[in-house]
Amino acid sequence: MLYPWQTDDWARLNLERERLPNAWLLTGPDGIGKGRFARHLAMSLLCDAPGAGYHPCGRCEACHWFEAGSHPDFRLLAPPVDDEGEGGKTGRKLAQIKVDAVREVIDFAHLTAHRGRGRVVLVEPAESLNPAAANALLKILEEPPADVLFLLLADAPQRLLPTIKSRCRPFQLSRPDRETALAWLAEQGIENAQVEYVYHGEVPLFEHDPALVSVRREFIDGLAAPGFDTVNRLAELVEKHKLPLTRPVQWLQKWLLDLAGLRLAGHIRYHPQRRAALEALAGRADLDALMRCQTALTGIAPYGQHPLNVKLQVEALLMDYLSVFIPARPAATR
Amino acid sequence: MSYQVLARKWRPKRFADLVGQEHVVRALANALKSERLHHAYLLTGTRGVGKTTIARILAKSLNCEAGIGAEPCGVCQACQQIDAGRFVDLLEIDAASNTGIDNIREVLENAQYAPSLGRYKVYIIDEVHMLSKSAFNAMLKTLEEPPAHVKFILATTDPQKVPVTVLSRCLQFSLRNMTPQQVATHLAHVLEAEGVCYEPAALTLLGRAASGSMRDALSLLDQAIAYGVGEVAEDGVRAMLGAVDRRYLFSLLAALAEGDGARLMAEADALAERGVGFESALSELSLLLHQVALAQTVPAAIAPDDPERDALFALAAGMAPEDVQLYYQIAIHGKADIGLAPDEHAGFSMTLLRMLAFHPVEGGYSAPPAGGGRPAAPSIPAAGGHEPARAMHDGEGHAGAKALIARISGRPAAGESAATPPEAASENSEPEPASASAEGAPGAVDMASQPLRAASVTLSASPASDVVPPWVEEPSLAEEAVSHGEGRKVAAGAPTPLSTAEPDSEAVVANVDEAVFDGDWNGWVARLSGRMGTARMLAQNAALRSWDGQRLELSVSEAFRHLASRDYQEKLRAVIRECFGPGLELSVRVENSAEETPAMRDARVRQKHLAQAKESLENDPVVQLMVREFNATLLPDTIQPVQE
Ligand SMILES: [Zn+2]
Ligand SMILES: [Zn+2]
Repeated sequence: MLYPWQTDDWARLNLERERLPNAWLLTGPDGIGKGRFARHLAMSLLCDAPGAGYHPCGRCEACHWFEAGSHPDFRLLAPPVDDEGEGGKTGRKLAQIKVDAVREVIDFAHLTAHRGRGRVVLVEPAESLNPAAANALLKILEEPPADVLFLLLADAPQRLLPTIKSRCRPFQLSRPDRETALAWLAEQGIENAQVEYVYHGEVPLFEHDPALVSVRREFIDGLAAPGFDTVNRLAELVEKHKLPLTRPVQWLQKWLLDLAGLRLAGHIRYHPQRRAALEALAGRADLDALMRCQTALTGIAPYGQHPLNVKLQVEALLMDYLSVFIPARPAATR
Repeated sequence: MSYQVLARKWRPKRFADLVGQEHVVRALANALKSERLHHAYLLTGTRGVGKTTIARILAKSLNCEAGIGAEPCGVCQACQQIDAGRFVDLLEIDAASNTGIDNIREVLENAQYAPSLGRYKVYIIDEVHMLSKSAFNAMLKTLEEPPAHVKFILATTDPQKVPVTVLSRCLQFSLRNMTPQQVATHLAHVLEAEGVCYEPAALTLLGRAASGSMRDALSLLDQAIAYGVGEVAEDGVRAMLGAVDRRYLFSLLAALAEGDGARLMAEADALAERGVGFESALSELSLLLHQVALAQTVPAAIAPDDPERDALFALAAGMAPEDVQLYYQIAIHGKADIGLAPDEHAGFSMTLLRMLAFHPVEGGYSAPPAGGGRPAAPSIPAAGGHEPARAMHDGEGHAGAKALIARISGRPAAGESAATPPEAASENSEPEPASASAEGAPGAVDMASQPLRAASVTLSASPASDVVPPWVEEPSLAEEAVSHGEGRKVAAGAPTPLSTAEPDSEAVVANVDEAVFDGDWNGWVARLSGRMGTARMLAQNAALRSWDGQRLELSVSEAFRHLASRDYQEKLRAVIRECFGPGLELSVRVENSAEETPAMRDARVRQKHLAQAKESLENDPVVQLMVREFNATLLPDTIQPVQE
């Protein structure tokens, strides 16, 4: 099933079916449903009796197989699932698609289709192809065996090899407008939908975990009223809930962005409901220190999933954060 | 799923059908005609310009039953089988999916046996840069003394990753990017043959969007035909390509130049709505900043008929060259870090905010913005005040700060002393950057006392660009088509900025004129950067890799790859030769090195000066008195180090 905001994109895509590409590159920001769109498309290509508007029938054998994840003519090329942290819980995925997986897909593409409706390979996300894997995919993308179609998904197509992009037909998926998104979120029964929607960069699909939301709220309460105990209290909070470093890092990043945005441009993106607190802090912030703190966050961000001593890291970051507000020191002798 | 995409259907089968690679085709045709064939060829060029295509046609030329020649018949068994991809003596190896030594060894062992059908056994090794080191080594022996019946054709988008030992054994051809015009013309030809109606303007748009690659162009054309339901019209193509219109960039930069934060953020939001990728927006932004810098340093470089010319010069007049340089650096870093932000929008906004935070408080460059005084950088409201933090200064505060700094430092405020009328800025090469003239200033101690880095740089045994392939067989062709051009002459008559230097700079030039380059790259660039013209862009962002008294090897990081282009290299070479004699050689390679470039050094020095200025203000008795007696607040982000 498509999301309600995807029907126009679907109609637009259907126009291109007369001239199928070797590979479609579906792009658009994270959280708008590219994966679901791509699967709907793959299913429609493999369906025995697609209905009006090319939608898969959902009843034929192919559709059943597809939904059960066992269609022999469909392959998903994705980073291996990490046993320790299931992708969803830990946020940013680091795993890569390796060249061996690509070789398997190449072999798969050279087999004959089981059901005579061609074969579909979904690469999700294409950015996770490591360089060797991406290069290994080039030849088959350009000259795939007859009836093989690739679907590549990318939030950041810029990061793909130009040689990959050059072999794909781009197709940009739309993000829903605010009303559509909020209406849909309300239907899903998400508490505080508006706040969450805004906090997640105005995309409708985000991981929603009420427990995590309340930890986040507590953390940001702490950021909003920095004091002597802030460092300890917040670091302990993170530790108590066994959060990966990436959580507090992202919370701080968004908070600092709003501080800087308010200070320099009168603009708040993520925490509009906390304007008063932000205004009070922005006035006291030292811009240089703020930028340094932000740089430190960027520096640590790649290690958000590493088993570092999270508490120690969070403490260090929070110290940086506090130093943003320390009033100008009295003159020291040189 | 039986439609064949245009890029595949229209892959040329004869040299005559190739677009834009006449220089390579001519060289190959001559070699084929005279049967003076090299045993290994390396085809390089960006994606979709025809490397694999040329390799396959060459394989036909070598094996056509009608005889070796540039026009294979296309109908004999060999030709047909090669076209169909099943000729036994053509081995097309995808180096990327067969990277290992075992694959290569197996293939090479096979090479010693005579061809079974054809004249030659032809090995096309595509994406050759992906081979492992051991695989390359295994290949070397065969490349060195191949059996007479074997021809190698290697192809890659990334020759930098191919070992020198391999490069030196190949005759190298670099394929050119196609011009938008060449692409459009070819698309028209395809559409006519396909019986599809089109508007020429649509093809011009596609030609530009393809950025040099015919494959990209044909992919887009496929999509355009689908999108336009069987016809290719301008409106449809424009809509399909999305707003690749650069107007938003100009408004972004204008807002930045005016220090208008609110507008800057509004522009960023508008980008998200239009579905413009933030990462590509940052690339575009750095590209535009680059052009602004160009407009400031060498106005003549901007084509008179450039539709964006006026807008470009308006920006160039409104921004100080140092700021442009700084924004450029921030944009490049912002782009590199965008994946580390919570989302791309956040990364983009933060990058703009950083630029804003560095936005100069005063400056003699800015053309007065409409509506009076230059909008000032924002500042902190008085501590404890209720005024929202976004309150902007009204300009008076800055005048006050300026005067204060001037009084305390006993110098005129920077804005006054550094004022250069915009005309002068754009006409003359460039005002003196702080570092170029800072010899006498306190900050200069820093760079003067720096040890000569270059002295400790060890010379790498065989730098890639040093090796000239042994194309003894066809020197005349080589000159024309072969890349690796140390051989290309620097245009003799080209006036260099050096010769037009202002009178007071002559001493400097004369000083270094006879001199031998002492290995202090950063120091030299700092002394000369104001007089280098465009070469400065490359010089500023390059680090010294090695120097042996004769050959200067520089490296630029991946982010500045565009600066390693031949144009920039030639300009810099001209400047260097003017200083150190005509015999001096220069090469530039793209690699991420840990060496500090002049631009990085400048940024560091600038930061240091800023910190010093801040410290001296904080420690200044007058300031302290004002803080104590009048409850004054120092606005740290309004501090600008005074540049002499
Ligand atoms: Zn079905
Ligand atoms: Zn033939």
